[in-house]
Amino acid sequence: MALLDVRNLSIGYQTRKGFLRAVDSVSFSVEEGKSLGFVGESGCGKTTIGMTLMGLLPKNASVMADQIMYKGRDLLKISPEEMRKTRWKDIAMIFQAAMNALNPVQRVGDQIVEAILIHEPALDKPAAQERVEALFDLVHIPRERIRDFPHQYSGGMKQRAIIAMALSCRPSLIIADEPTTALDVIVQDQILDEIKTLQKELILSILFISHDIAVVADVCHTIAVMYAGQIVEYGKREEVFEAPVHPYTKALLGSYLTLGTEKTQLEGLNGETPNLINPPKGCRFCDRCEATGPACRMEIPDWIDVSRTHKALCCKIT
Amino acid sequence: MELRKYIFRRLIEIAIIFFVILTVLFLLFRLAPGDPVTRMVDPNMTPEDAEHLIEQLGLDQPIGLQYLYYVKNFVTGNFGVSFHYGQPVADIILNRLPNTVLLFTTSIILSALFGIFLGKIAAWRKGESTDTWMTIGALICHTVFLPWLALILIWLFAYKVGWFPLTGMISAEVWIDPEAGFLEKAWDIVHHMILPLGTLFMIHFGSYLLIMRSSMLDTLKEDYILTARAKGLEEKTIRNHHAAPNAALPVVTSVGLSLAFSINGGALTETVFTWPGIGRELVFSVSNNDYPLAQASFLLIAAVVLLANLVVDVLYAYLDPRIRYE
Repeated sequence: MALLDVRNLSIGYQTRKGFLRAVDSVSFSVEEGKSLGFVGESGCGKTTIGMTLMGLLPKNASVMADQIMYKGRDLLKISPEEMRKTRWKDIAMIFQAAMNALNPVQRVGDQIVEAILIHEPALDKPAAQERVEALFDLVHIPRERIRDFPHQYSGGMKQRAIIAMALSCRPSLIIADEPTTALDVIVQDQILDEIKTLQKELILSILFISHDIAVVADVCHTIAVMYAGQIVEYGKREEVFEAPVHPYTKALLGSYLTLGTEKTQLEGLNGETPNLINPPKGCRFCDRCEATGPACRMEIPDWIDVSRTHKALCCKIT
Repeated sequence: MELRKYIFRRLIEIAIIFFVILTVLFLLFRLAPGDPVTRMVDPNMTPEDAEHLIEQLGLDQPIGLQYLYYVKNFVTGNFGVSFHYGQPVADIILNRLPNTVLLFTTSIILSALFGIFLGKIAAWRKGESTDTWMTIGALICHTVFLPWLALILIWLFAYKVGWFPLTGMISAEVWIDPEAGFLEKAWDIVHHMILPLGTLFMIHFGSYLLIMRSSMLDTLKEDYILTARAKGLEEKTIRNHHAAPNAALPVVTSVGLSLAFSINGGALTETVFTWPGIGRELVFSVSNNDYPLAQASFLLIAAVVLLANLVVDVLYAYLDPRIRYE
């Protein structure tokens, strides 16, 4: 059984201009010890999904889904108090803006101790501090930095501290929302390696969110490509990364360079993402797609199974 | 160690600024309309007597020399003798200062505590009716004209209802009564203090509430508040432990500076309530051309404002670990 199984999740915001459907009927599952990567442009709904799983959406958001099963419990049906206790204990999050994710006037170690003690009240402070030391060893920050303030850390160290904090209550699932976006490429690489190692050692499930398909392909077993609130292609890493079928995934792969390939020309994508208050009638990608035909504009595309594990939302695939 | 060096450097700066203020003040008083001699010289005096007096006051000397005397007297702690009271200025100020400090420190600390507490609640309940009413109340308190408020309070609670004395700081009959103990005397002062305290409380409390509210609203948007929530902390912990302490920092600046300016800012309140403090003495000495007293009062204000700024800066270094002085 999957650790997390989400069926037909839709999330909308009531805005002044109308009801905005940020996420539209997405289904996905995360197996124990595996990682699922969401990739897509800004505003495609990846972060919103993460926030929904944490129960941290703003008040004007509404969530509809057949189910969000986590360890046999439906997160949609539990009380806010139970949700609070689930956060961090069961599902932790590594944030997009790690630079400011730590409270600037509290010591880094104290902030982690706080997270441990709130979920494990039976533990005393020295025991929690001991665990913080072990966590710092795990993410390779020298122990003597535990009593430092966040501004004394470099960007990479802050991100490591956030990872240590996310691991502090030994959660089964970690949502990593653009964990390396603010870092330079070298540090980014180190952090990604660290995440991969930790995942193997601790048998973690990770839901990885990024706009960078190369990063997602590096870390994740399964990839979900999102466009305008929908998952448009879903499959194993090799399938999506090496043999993409959806025109949008192909465009994403065409828009970055890799070392050692003969690609000399980057292909951009024209146009803008559609307005989610009034989405197009047919396929949402039709205005930017090279293969658009008349049917694409009129009909909502159906899921096409490419293989048992690989599927795409496009009517041009045969 | 760094902090000690920083304080030392700032003290030197303060000394320089203070010297400039000293000079400007000297010139201002020489430029001001009105002449101390015309006030002091009796029309019945003979011209010789008048001249003698002018000589005694040193006003016949060239202005440069007068300035040097002025600086020398100041440095040696000789502030002169009040024209009006005929007492050393230093004595008068030392006598009035505790009254001002008592009234203003109490009112500012009380209003800061209430302002921070209610501002926190208002921001937390943004958009709810609690927030609306608190904000409206704070705006009214903040913008009301102080002397008007003071007079209304006196009219209502001292004149109409008669709960509090009309003026002053003490009732003579309590203080000359040999039977009266410490508690009775203390209560007498508190009784006199309630109306001026209430006035100052209302004026300051509104602005602290508004500062705290807007600072708290900004803080609540910070990423680390989201982290705190994601950690599964209870809402109360997030509000009191993660948001409020950070949001209260700007209020500290405001409180520090109000404390500094209270020495003179209290002129209106002290005058309306005839509270025997520095502010009232300042108004009195200026309108009566009592140069030595006015000069010393102004210098006291300057010194307190400069030092309060330093204290606020140093305090900040303790409250916010991001701030370190080198």
